Amino acid sequence: MNEPTPALAPDPATTRRAFLRRSLEAGAAIAATGGLAAWLWNRHPPGTLGRGAPASLMPDFSVRDAGAKMAIVTGADRVRTLRRALDAMGGIGRFIKPGDRVLLKVNAAFAAPAILSATTNPELAAELVRLCHAAGASAVLVTDNPINDPESCFALSGIGAAASAAGATVVLPRPGDFAPLTLPGGRLIRNWPVLHEPFRGVTKLIGVAPVKHHARAGASMTIKNWYGLLGGRRNQFHQDINGIIVELSQLVRPTFVVLDGTMSMLTNGPTGGSLADLKPTHTLVVSTDPVAADSFGATLLGRTSRDLPYLARAAQLGGGTTDYESLRPARDDVS
Amino acid sequence: MHRGDDKRCGALDKGCGVAGYLLNQCIGARLDPIRWGRAGLTFPMATLTSGRKPSARETAAGVFVFLVLGAVLAWLLHTQARFSPAVSIAFQDGGGVAAQAPPPVRLPDLLSSWPAALHPMSPPESFSADTLSDKIDGKAEVYLAAGVAGMKCQRLALPATSSSWIELFVYDMGKPANAFSVFSSQKRADVTDLPLADYAYRAGNQMAFVQGQFYVEIVATDEAPATLDACAALAQAYVIATVVAVHANVSADSALFPKEGLVAGSVSLLSADVFGFDALKDVFVAHYRSGPDEVTLFIARRATASEARAGASALRGFFVDDCGGRESPHPPEPAGAAVIDEGGTFEGIFTSGRYLAGVHQAPDRESAVRWMKRLADRLSQSP
Repeated sequence: MNEPTPALAPDPATTRRAFLRRSLEAGAAIAATGGLAAWLWNRHPPGTLGRGAPASLMPDFSVRDAGAKMAIVTGADRVRTLRRALDAMGGIGRFIKPGDRVLLKVNAAFAAPAILSATTNPELAAELVRLCHAAGASAVLVTDNPINDPESCFALSGIGAAASAAGATVVLPRPGDFAPLTLPGGRLIRNWPVLHEPFRGVTKLIGVAPVKHHARAGASMTIKNWYGLLGGRRNQFHQDINGIIVELSQLVRPTFVVLDGTMSMLTNGPTGGSLADLKPTHTLVVSTDPVAADSFGATLLGRTSRDLPYLARAAQLGGGTTDYESLRPARDDVS
Repeated sequence: MHRGDDKRCGALDKGCGVAGYLLNQCIGARLDPIRWGRAGLTFPMATLTSGRKPSARETAAGVFVFLVLGAVLAWLLHTQARFSPAVSIAFQDGGGVAAQAPPPVRLPDLLSSWPAALHPMSPPESFSADTLSDKIDGKAEVYLAAGVAGMKCQRLALPATSSSWIELFVYDMGKPANAFSVFSSQKRADVTDLPLADYAYRAGNQMAFVQGQFYVEIVATDEAPATLDACAALAQAYVIATVVAVHANVSADSALFPKEGLVAGSVSLLSADVFGFDALKDVFVAHYRSGPDEVTLFIARRATASEARAGASALRGFFVDDCGGRESPHPPEPAGAAVIDEGGTFEGIFTSGRYLAGVHQAPDRESAVRWMKRLADRLSQSP
């Protein structure tokens, strides 16, 4: 027999004491839950940096009105070839304006001496720092996330001391300096930790890399240099090295890149180890188009852009052109 | 309210957790545990201990709360399943900074004491096959293809100089043939062979040698005499201290190649991805110069003659189908041989018993045929 459902009403048997006890117990349960959540809460997860919003996209650092430009200068003196190349592109003042905060992404991947040319040449990095300051940059930061421990890499490669002496701030990556980033349409760079903190307030980005053979990719030049912005267990990308280099070409839009082919590593890259791996090719390239720079760099290794599959794919996706001659590169010699 | 009810309610609150408690508070009713199935699991259900049945409103509220909790649980599971492992690994590793490798299982030993001219500059580092790229990046592929088990390295300073230092790398390649493979495949063009260990050379600032299953590299910051002397002392000390059961010896394999025209020291063992063909492994190659000809001859010893023929067929398919080569309609000697025009260079392939052999990048067809015949004659004399 169905009896009428009683209305939801306080239990008449509830005493004040029982009510207070239940209220206290409910409060304790809520407090315990909140405390547990607070205990489990990671205040410094990768990417949030403890302040500000996580990165969603790398800014475009290119200078639109500068257009696609390239200069190729031959000579053994990196300081002179760099200066001449930048002059041929209209001077560094065309790219770096007073007040700019410049980030210089070097290749400091290994704790190796500069003589092996496995890393960015320290004199070249220092000269870039000086030129940026001369153009009015308010600050120049130099960074990389090396394969080996950052302190040793910057110290033993000579980059740290040279850049500091030239007035740069050397930023060694710390665990909290990375933010998860997704490349729109990307297949590999999805929610991946990318060096983020050194980019705060940066208005211009310059990449500077040596020309090297690479056992997996064929060659390591300016686009592969962005690999040093990746964090995490990035070595898994070696299984699709062309794919990750292509995505890096889409992710990073620098102000310009400097490709140092003064001494090219022809064999046993990217670490090399012997002076016998090097060939004096005495060429330095400055370009607003990294694909064009690397396509020319391939010729210093006795190859063409067709031998490096990632270049054609990067070009197809709008990362630049493999037909570097179409940029009508300025050529000069300071031997 | 009876005291017994209060006791049951207290026990119930602990068992039901926060959700049940909030539900309890929401609908003003108490929760009773009932036994659920044979496993004896306690499952909370809303009933009125006073004996009345829950109203439709109470039931709806209860169902709503459980649906919300279910949705939250489903969302959590879904989100967790999609969480990027890269981020979690990076977090475990300490952000994005290249993390120190975990200690590998098996590693070669470094020296317990150093030559007098050298002082440790940094602690020894250890890398397994899984973490080798943390030290040498893409070059790890060379060692992985050859079966590397682990690597140890350490930087050493020369106190007598202000800035010179050297780094010692000791790779455990598992067996001497693998050590010879990475030694020979990375051998520089212009080297000075050294009477040291099983095989050794110096190339400028760098020394490399094979001691049994170990491949050792010593890389110096410069070529100053004092630095090179320290490298030599270190190499000697390592060889003396490292006793191996089996030494590397490829003299039998090297003897399979014709002697005339052979570039001294050019015999090498390629472990994988030979000529760009990922199925071609463990191949000895040697470089030849004879007049205008510069070619590479290759020999791969297989377990059986049929395995060698299958390998030859696969390689022929690679050069024709994958590389766009054109096979000559007039097959040369020996029987079953093939010459493939790769648009400027010529590949020659044949088998001799359980050997798969041939010529790589001959300048013309006649050269390819000539070198194949020489190699075939040589192989026919081998056991």
